[in-house]
Amino acid sequence: MAEATFLDSTELVLNMGPQHPSPHGVRRVILKLDGEKVLGADCVIGYLHRGVEKIGENRTYQQFTPYVDRMDYVAAVSNGLGYCLAVEKLLNIEAPPRAQAVRVILTELNRIASHLVWLGTHALDIGALTPVFYCFREREEVLTVFENYCGARLTTHAFRIGGLQYELYDGFEEQVKAFCDMFLAKVDEYEELLTGNRIWIGRLKGVGILTAEECKAYGVTGPLLRAAGVKWDIRKAQPYSGYDQYEFDIPTGENGDTFDRYKVRLEEMRQSVRIIRQAVDRIPEGPIMGKVPKVIKPPVGEAYVSIEAPKGELGYFVVSDGSPQPYRVRVRPPSFINLQAVDKMVRGGLVADVVAVIGTIDIVLGEVDR
Amino acid sequence: MASVPWEDELTKRLQDQFGDRILEFSTYLGQNFLVARPEAVIPIIEHLKLEAGFDYLVDVTAVDYPQRPERFDLVYILYSFSRNERVRIKTRIAEGATPPSATGVHLTANWLEREVYDMFGIRFAGHPNMQRILLPEEWQGHPLRKDYPITRQDDRWVQENLGIESAQ
Amino acid sequence: MRKFFRTVFLVDLLKGLRVTFRYQHPKHICTEQYPAQRPRIGERYRGAPRLNTNPETGETLCIACNLCALACPENLIVVGSERNEQTRRKELTTFTYDTSRCMFCGLCEDACPVDALELTQDFEIATYSREGQIWDRQMLEEGPKPTPYEC
Ligand code: SF4
Ligand code: SF4
Repeated sequence: MAEATFLDSTELVLNMGPQHPSPHGVRRVILKLDGEKVLGADCVIGYLHRGVEKIGENRTYQQFTPYVDRMDYVAAVSNGLGYCLAVEKLLNIEAPPRAQAVRVILTELNRIASHLVWLGTHALDIGALTPVFYCFREREEVLTVFENYCGARLTTHAFRIGGLQYELYDGFEEQVKAFCDMFLAKVDEYEELLTGNRIWIGRLKGVGILTAEECKAYGVTGPLLRAAGVKWDIRKAQPYSGYDQYEFDIPTGENGDTFDRYKVRLEEMRQSVRIIRQAVDRIPEGPIMGKVPKVIKPPVGEAYVSIEAPKGELGYFVVSDGSPQPYRVRVRPPSFINLQAVDKMVRGGLVADVVAVIGTIDIVLGEVDR
Repeated sequence: MASVPWEDELTKRLQDQFGDRILEFSTYLGQNFLVARPEAVIPIIEHLKLEAGFDYLVDVTAVDYPQRPERFDLVYILYSFSRNERVRIKTRIAEGATPPSATGVHLTANWLEREVYDMFGIRFAGHPNMQRILLPEEWQGHPLRKDYPITRQDDRWVQENLGIESAQ
Repeated sequence: MRKFFRTVFLVDLLKGLRVTFRYQHPKHICTEQYPAQRPRIGERYRGAPRLNTNPETGETLCIACNLCALACPENLIVVGSERNEQTRRKELTTFTYDTSRCMFCGLCEDACPVDALELTQDFEIATYSREGQIWDRQMLEEGPKPTPYEC
């Protein structure tokens, strides 16, 4: 047997994280490398595990609502909406039309805010320093709307089971409309900064490809699935909260690579603005809270309700045993399941692309670990 | 509102294929689910995937009922893009049973089953990497079981690894 | 040919730089100079808790009904009360509120039937020790007193 020389390829194991600037949270990726080439990636997660599902079993239905905001904290409003819809389903009630319209507006604003965080930090990972400032500047406007509406900026606790707690404040419509008018021009600006940029294209095109078949096999949803060309959005497929009244398109990509996901998310922000504009113009009058008892005791049974969160399908599986506390709350977190595909996406690529791939999934570790 | 029987061409086909291995077809609040024997679950999922277009495994989870002899409900949620339909498959398993893994049919099941193992202590037979996923590997106990109180923690692990008396 | 021209003259980069330079003008500054400049806080902001008193008599509005403590998911409110033998009414004796565990969700203020407990716009509630985070009745009625910043 010949002696091994330094020219022979040897497998190198590289730990990325738990403290690493790229994943915006604590998690570890164990990379197997052959030189620059990635042979495989293994994720070690759980550093942020707080046992949200266990907490849910030990709180009443209303008391659990603030906790769901703390899973995907950049899209807290969507989390709250999903949970409220799930419990409303168990109670077999629906929020009044006015509440539904406000819910749509706030969730779409939240989608914009979430995508802005993604865009800014993703560009930062790739090396474009400027967009993050602009993205956060616009996100600030969204957060101001949240703060004026419900009194908190990040973990909003905006919705309650059965409807809303807070009536709209004076000037809500004007503020939201002004934001919409201002924002579309800003999206074009981001495009100007990034879309044509040769470094941006060079880093993103053809990186981390997931085909439609692979997406389905891995259960990947949200912008990743749409970038692979599957026109699927729960807001259209199984509309909830009155989404069927609004006109909007589902943007799709062709190649399923990181660049397509970027394009899809930018287009989604524009579509969100479209939805918000329609919704603001016709917020119906009426009550904001449905008929919900003081102590919520849904009949024995179970229900699974899912919504299109900014990151993908966010589902809540709630089991009731007739008591004021849920018997079991299961959260189907989109980030957790999308993260699973990381191994597939980085395999065969270069080390430098791992950061781009992790960024493109748009994970929030609070939701991955719950 | 009680659950009502669920009947359409899909249930008929499943009934023909699996006979009495499927115990119940029901609809509750407009959501279809079926209850099957543990050994039939993976064949049903495979059948649904190949024959009926349920090509997306949404979720795998469990529910603990400590008073029952078959302690756990194992829940699989499937979705079909072509039919735009969801189906829940439930099965009851006893403590210590090792249901077969769904990873051979849907790759998603990998982490989801690991999470079920982590939280409930249900081991899946034939899973490629049956390890804890969220909690540390040496942790004692499975937190989402009903006999695991919310304030419990693995004191020994906390003291050894974090160097503090208690994390509470 | 066009593409070649664009590549050589770095058109894509210049386009991006144009955006950057457009924002160089001082009127586009949007950074808040906290603490020299007070931030604008939403009217409904859920910040430091306060136990309201009747502005004329100085008596507390709280009727010691304990609803806030029951509503709180974190169980951090403790209401102490005592039955007044003359009026046969419950009267508030102590009230503790552990701000270190509070997540400012607002469920307690929603539950209060007489608007005695309120989450206010004060947001400067950091302290140097954990003990300082547990507020008693006096602290809750007076509100936090953050050190003003000199500049
Ligand atoms: S704000 Fe929420 S967590 Fe804080 S005391 Fe009130 S109910 Fe409890
Ligand atoms: S709910 Fe209001 S009145 Fe009742 S104990 Fe709490 S603060 Fe006092």
